[in-house]
Amino acid sequence: MRRIFASVRDGRGFDIMLVGVPFTFLFALAGLPLIYNILMSFQEVDMFSLGSFIRPFVGFDNYVALFKQPETIPILTNTVVFVVGSIAGQFLLGFGLALFFWTNFPGASWLRGLFLVSWVMPGLVVGAIWNWILSGDFGVLNFFLRESGLIDGNIFWRSDPDFSLWAVVIANIWLGTSFNMILLSVGLSAIPGDLYEAAEMDGANAWQRFWTITLPMMRSTIGAIISLGLIFTLQQFDLFAAITDGGPNNSSNVAQYWAWDLSFRQYDFGRGATISVIMTVFVMFAAAVYVRSTRHEVRG
Amino acid sequence: MTQQIELSGVNKYYGAYHALKDIELSIPKGAFVALVGPSGCGKSTLLRSLAGLETISSGDLMIAGERMNDVPPRRRDLAMVFQSYALYPHMTVEQNLTYSLKIRGVKKAEAKKAAADVAAITGLSDLLHRYPRELSGGQRQRVAMSRAIIRHPKAFLFDEPLSNLDAALRVHMRKEIRALHDRLGATSVYVTHDQVEAMTMADHVVIMRSGVIEQQGPPLELYDRPANRFVAGFIGSPAMNFIPAKSGRDGKSLVLDLPGSQVLDLDLGLPPGHAVLVGIRPEHLAIAAQDMPGFEVPIATIESTGATTFVTTATAPEIVLVLNSRSTLAAGAMIRLTFAPENVHLFDAKTEKRLATKP
Repeated sequence: MRRIFASVRDGRGFDIMLVGVPFTFLFALAGLPLIYNILMSFQEVDMFSLGSFIRPFVGFDNYVALFKQPETIPILTNTVVFVVGSIAGQFLLGFGLALFFWTNFPGASWLRGLFLVSWVMPGLVVGAIWNWILSGDFGVLNFFLRESGLIDGNIFWRSDPDFSLWAVVIANIWLGTSFNMILLSVGLSAIPGDLYEAAEMDGANAWQRFWTITLPMMRSTIGAIISLGLIFTLQQFDLFAAITDGGPNNSSNVAQYWAWDLSFRQYDFGRGATISVIMTVFVMFAAAVYVRSTRHEVRG
Repeated sequence: MTQQIELSGVNKYYGAYHALKDIELSIPKGAFVALVGPSGCGKSTLLRSLAGLETISSGDLMIAGERMNDVPPRRRDLAMVFQSYALYPHMTVEQNLTYSLKIRGVKKAEAKKAAADVAAITGLSDLLHRYPRELSGGQRQRVAMSRAIIRHPKAFLFDEPLSNLDAALRVHMRKEIRALHDRLGATSVYVTHDQVEAMTMADHVVIMRSGVIEQQGPPLELYDRPANRFVAGFIGSPAMNFIPAKSGRDGKSLVLDLPGSQVLDLDLGLPPGHAVLVGIRPEHLAIAAQDMPGFEVPIATIESTGATTFVTTATAPEIVLVLNSRSTLAAGAMIRLTFAPENVHLFDAKTEKRLATKP
């Protein structure tokens, strides 16, 4: 007994404890639900069998049935459009802003801090605000587009199937841009200033310095921000709930919202779990890219 | 001789701070010039102004006969070796070397050949495909130098390139840089805070303090005839001794401000009672026999490095002398110090400027 105690205090036992505590935590709160989710995607689950673990095993029936549904492909396409559109918008705007604040004009750090306001706001609040901005009749976005002559009539952003997905993309870009900007700002400020001076002495102009110094030195940051962006966009739920509710007619529905809809509105837990598993595979892929890019950080 | 770099009336302000004051400096083609001084003296600012990384507030900056005041660094055709080396961490050694050539649009094969040629000179041939993080400090230093050499610039600018190396390597690289300079027939401007580096490497040393050039000239001239007390104290190690004194009543002697009001017979043609500083280098002091002319001082400490012995006196200000032999002296003993009159430097006590000694 004393030997075990001594080992825990100072020895292998201590090492095992250090690993064991977080591992147990992760396993109980993330691992088990994940495994349970995968298990459910291979079972027939309904309201009555929800309380038991032992349920009829149906193999890949859930997957097959899911892909037979006519809305599956459009919804998965929507998910891709939402993810790519959001990430591209967040990244380009965020990088632009980061470069802008990097010029370090008076008050730059202040303003940069204020930009984080969009990120600390709850998604539901952001959604509510964008509901007003995007509103077809009295929305301020339509007002500006109309006054600047870009459109003739009002666009009903939230109820027009051609625009509903983009309404959520716009709100999501607004929500995520500042996070991108902050991470990219950190990456930019980590590049030593004398590299730019050396490149300048070597004859590179501003454009060449950006392509040969800034971008390659930002590789790991950019890899990290894009994979984090993928994870965050696939998590985005509040904005759909607040702005379009996935509609009209699934035109703005995405996988993560649909999974919730299937499980908790239609009580088809098996299919809900199936979509979650498919998404998990994608997120794991993003996580792998993220880990790789942070490991590949360039140090001077 | 053609002047490769010429500065006249150059001033630099950072807001109200006057960083460079009326700098006049001509650097002939092929010269090795060292800018030396304590930190904050403006030597790095001057170098960065040459490079174009800082813009000068007034005056003229000519490089190879062209006015370069408002020309951006990339059009000045100067190469700089940074204190941090500033190697591009995401590029291999070869890519670091060929970067400037790539920017200039030199063909890939040609650039590779140039890199191989330079690497052969600087001993980097085996390291061309390594990344900077895989190199030692000395190797990084060589890469930084090679990156400058490959361009055949109008001049090389060095910003304390050796300060990140250990002492032994520093001494070695000192010789190597100078040899490289001679071999390439280059024009070099070298910033350092180490007067030994400046003295041993340069043809022309520029000593700066608070944005002013205090004195410039060949190294030994600065050693032999320092223009003021600052230069006298800066050049030489251990530093020159300064003893306050007054000229005697007849003007033909100096009364040292040491215990016992010791008198030196020196005809300087000074008005009686003029306050001066007597400067004598530690290596120019010697211990005299009792009956010889000189002045008596008590010993405070004796330190020996084996080859040389440093003796410090128990006077205020203390006097240091260097003996090139072992010594049997002990702390507390009285010694008689002497020196050759031609080795005495006299400075005005008020202006601290050099006083012309009468021949």
